[in-house]
This record gives sequence, C-alpha cells and structure tokens, in this order.
Amino acid sequence: MRIAMIVLRKFGRIVVLLSLAAMGTILLMRLAPGYFADAREMDVKYAQATRSELGAEEKAQGSVASTTLHMISGFLHGNLGESRQYEIPVSDLIRPRLRVTALILARGIAYGWLLAFCAALPLSTLHKGGTLFGAPFTVLLAVPSGAMATFFLLSGRGGPVLVLTLVLAARDFKFVRQLLRSAWKAPHLLQARAGGARPDQLILRHVMPNILPNLMALATLSLVTALSAIVPIEVIFDVPGVGQLAWAAAMNRDLPVLLAVTLLMAAAVTLSGFTSNPARSFGAP
Amino acid sequence: MSRRFACTFLTLLVLVATVIVAWPGHTYATQDRDAIMAGSSAEHWTGTDDLGRDRTVRVATALLLGLVCAAAASAISTSIAAGVGTVAAFSPGPVASVLMLLSDLFLTLPWLFLLMIVRSSLPLNASPMHSAAITFLILAALGWPACARAVYNGALELRGSDWMIQGRANGLRTGQLVRQYLLPHLRPLLVPQFLLCVPAFLVAEANLGTLGLGVAEPLPSWGGMLLELDSSAMLARSSWVFLPIVLLVSVLLLLECLAYEV
Repeated sequence: MRIAMIVLRKFGRIVVLLSLAAMGTILLMRLAPGYFADAREMDVKYAQATRSELGAEEKAQGSVASTTLHMISGFLHGNLGESRQYEIPVSDLIRPRLRVTALILARGIAYGWLLAFCAALPLSTLHKGGTLFGAPFTVLLAVPSGAMATFFLLSGRGGPVLVLTLVLAARDFKFVRQLLRSAWKAPHLLQARAGGARPDQLILRHVMPNILPNLMALATLSLVTALSAIVPIEVIFDVPGVGQLAWAAAMNRDLPVLLAVTLLMAAAVTLSGFTSNPARSFGAP
Repeated sequence: MSRRFACTFLTLLVLVATVIVAWPGHTYATQDRDAIMAGSSAEHWTGTDDLGRDRTVRVATALLLGLVCAAAASAISTSIAAGVGTVAAFSPGPVASVLMLLSDLFLTLPWLFLLMIVRSSLPLNASPMHSAAITFLILAALGWPACARAVYNGALELRGSDWMIQGRANGLRTGQLVRQYLLPHLRPLLVPQFLLCVPAFLVAEANLGTLGLGVAEPLPSWGGMLLELDSSAMLARSSWVFLPIVLLVSVLLLLECLAYEV
C-alpha cells in the first residue's frame, strides 16, 4: 500500500512536471520575438499585401490559448499536432525516427558506461598517476560533441555510436572513478582484502553493491547528456533520427514538431528519473 | 596542472587576444577579396576563411566574446541559483516546494532543445549582437536549477545553525542574516558553480554554432568558427582551420582545471 502511494505520488509529480513543461514551452515559443516571422515574408516574389496577409493570418492563429488548444487536441488525437513544414501529423514524422534514435542512444549509453567503468576500475586503485592516465577523458570532456562528430566524419572512422560513447564515457569517467575510490576505502572492503578475498570477489561482492545505487542516479544524467549530444551527432552524420528532425524543425521554424520532440525528451528524462530513484532507494544499503 | 598555471595561461591568452583585436588594420568582418581561403602569410598569420576574413582576428574575437559572454551568463545563472535557493530555504514550505518544483521543471527539459526552440523563434533580421546576447541569456536562464537545489540544501542546514539563531535573537532581519552570515558561508558552493558554468556555456554555444543556431554572422563565435571544419575545400588548403578547435579545447581545459582546483 505504501509503495503504491509512493508510486502514485511520483506519477502525479511526473504529470504535473510534464504539463508545466508543455505550458512553459508554449509560452516560451509564443512570447519569443520572432514567433510570427515567416521565411516567406522575406521573399521578394511575394507582394507587400500578401506578406501582410500572411502575418495577419499567423497572428490570428497564434494566440497562447489557440496554440495550447491545438497542442492539446493534437495530443488527444494521438497525432501530436500538424507539422508546419510538411503539413502532416507530427506523430508520422517522429514514429519512424524514434527507433533509430533509441538504438543509437541505447548502444551509446551502454558502451559509454562500459568504457568509463573499465577505465575507472584500474585507475581508481592507483595511488599515483591517476591524473595522467585519466587525461584522455579530461581532453574528451573539453571537445564539443559537434566538433568530435565532425572529426570522426572527416577521418572516415567511427560513427554516431562511437561519438556518443566517447562523449558519455568522458562525462561518466570522473564520477565512476570517484565512486570507486570511495568504495575501495570502505572499512568492510579493507577487512575483506585483509581476509584474502580475490580482486574479482572484491569487485562483485563488495564494490559493485556499494556503488550501484549511485550508478543508477548516473543513468538519468547520462540520458540528459546523450539527448543533448544526439542532435549535433545525428545532424553531422546525417542520421534520420529524432535529433535531426528537431534540428530541421528549428531551422525551418516548424514549432509544433519542435514542441513535440522537446516534450518527448522531457518525458524520457522524467521517466528515467522516476525509474532510477526507486532503484536507488531499494538498492541503498 | 596547478590553478596558478591555468590562471596565468588564461590571462596571457586574453591579453594576446585583446592586443590582436585592438591592433589597427583588420577587423573580424573585414574582407580581403584577394586572399580568399588563403594560407599563412605575413599579412594573415593564420590565413583567411572562405570570405577572405583574417582568421587570427576572428579567433581572437571569438575567444574574447565567448569568455566575456559565458562569464556574464555564468554570473547571472549563479545569482539566480543563489537567489532561488536562499528564498526557498527561508520561505514557508509551500513556497519552497513551488520553487523546487520549478527547478525540477528546468532540470527535466533538455537544454539544447529549449535553446533550439528559442533560437529558431528569433526574428529573421536579429542583429549578430542580439543573437549572441539572447543565446547566452538563455543559457543563463537554463543553467541555475542544479545549483539552486544545492544552495537550498546548504541554506537549510545553515538556517538552523547556532550562529544564525544567535543572529536572529540579536534582532537581525532575514535580509541582513542572508547578506552577512549566509552568503559568505555559501561562497565555497557558488564560486565553483560559477567556474564550472563558464566552460559548460562555451561548449553549449559551440554545439549550437555547429548546428547553425548559434551567434549570427559576421560576429565570430566558437560555434561559427567550428563550422569551417565542415568545408573540405578549407581543410584541403590549410591546417590552420584546426586553430579554433585546438584553442577552444585548450581554453576549456584551463577553465575546467581552474574550476576543479578551487
């Protein structure tokens, strides 16, 4: 009963957060100074009267209330509204791309974690030279994901998954190494070592259970990082995913698409926080 | 790498960039039509871009603009975090809950997508300076929630401390308590936050720039300069194209070193 109440309360918080996120994004879009700007207004082939008409038409349709109603009706119909650019339901644009992005994200996050963990594990045991051996991750951390993607594209080696892996490994490495360092110093671990436990036993039986709850928290952070990195990566590698769709929507001022993608990402982040937090509380020693 | 080394090297970079920008002759927008995509020469030390603009001056301007704007955005972001966290800690429960819900809301929304929404909603004729100001203002508006939560927790702990209770017993108002007692104790939290936000904002601007949604031309920015890497013609002609990325990575490393050493 208590668990059901906790889950219900958390679910309610997610719904409130997502509703507020939707309202906030609509307000942000609607109040942005160029919301009514249309690329066609800059086109000389349109007469002044036509341009004024376009502006008036958009102003009539673009009140906060009507935008919200359009969005709500689109979400209720399950088509997430209609794309300004392609004039088709947004859901038709997102659905085929979702799988592509989800696959890249899943592989990138898994490999990124693996790389960060495999590098952090031996380095966390070093008393000296940890900074030197960890330097590649420090350098990777300072390279914008867009620049990294361009570099790999030009060199003809690797693809979106490799770039995402490196971006995430660089971000997670320091956190994992710090966790492992603290875990190695735990009194029960020192006792186990003194008792002659093998390194694999130490890692599997003592270190991992100790750091698992914090690793779960890292999952949400990794997802946020991955979602931000996926846009330049998909654009540069020309991957037909949700990130590329969001970028194309931003370039063409297709705000219904951008709104739907943003809310989708917000939902993914909130849900991952929802799943990682109970895991943390259940996994905590 | 020590904090002193990072500080000295950064100061040196800023000084050199300032001298290059202030030097009479080329500006970041001046075009030399006889030297389009030129390599290194006596006139253009690191060559020119595809519009014949001096790369040295443009990189120096991007460095100064990036650092100044990112530092300003970071100061705004840290101030918002300090304000929200402190107000939440000294307010009744419902107000604190609303403020923390607001910070959760901002944490939920991925930065880049919000930035893309706002940048794509800007007027088509927005000036380069406006685009730079708006880009960094949005970054400042989005960067405060995580720190606000930390400030809130820190301020909650400090609120119940003996010296705060004594201060209150001596008749100090909440404002005075916050100014005289609380903020100095929160400084160890706020200074690293300020220093960590600067490289984070520079990277965010660079990523936006590589998507063509950063600071508008002809104003040079890290993101805009990195776009040159997309041009195979430029890459074939000169290796100086890599100067912006090398310099950006160096600046970010120095800033991160500074932040972690503090």
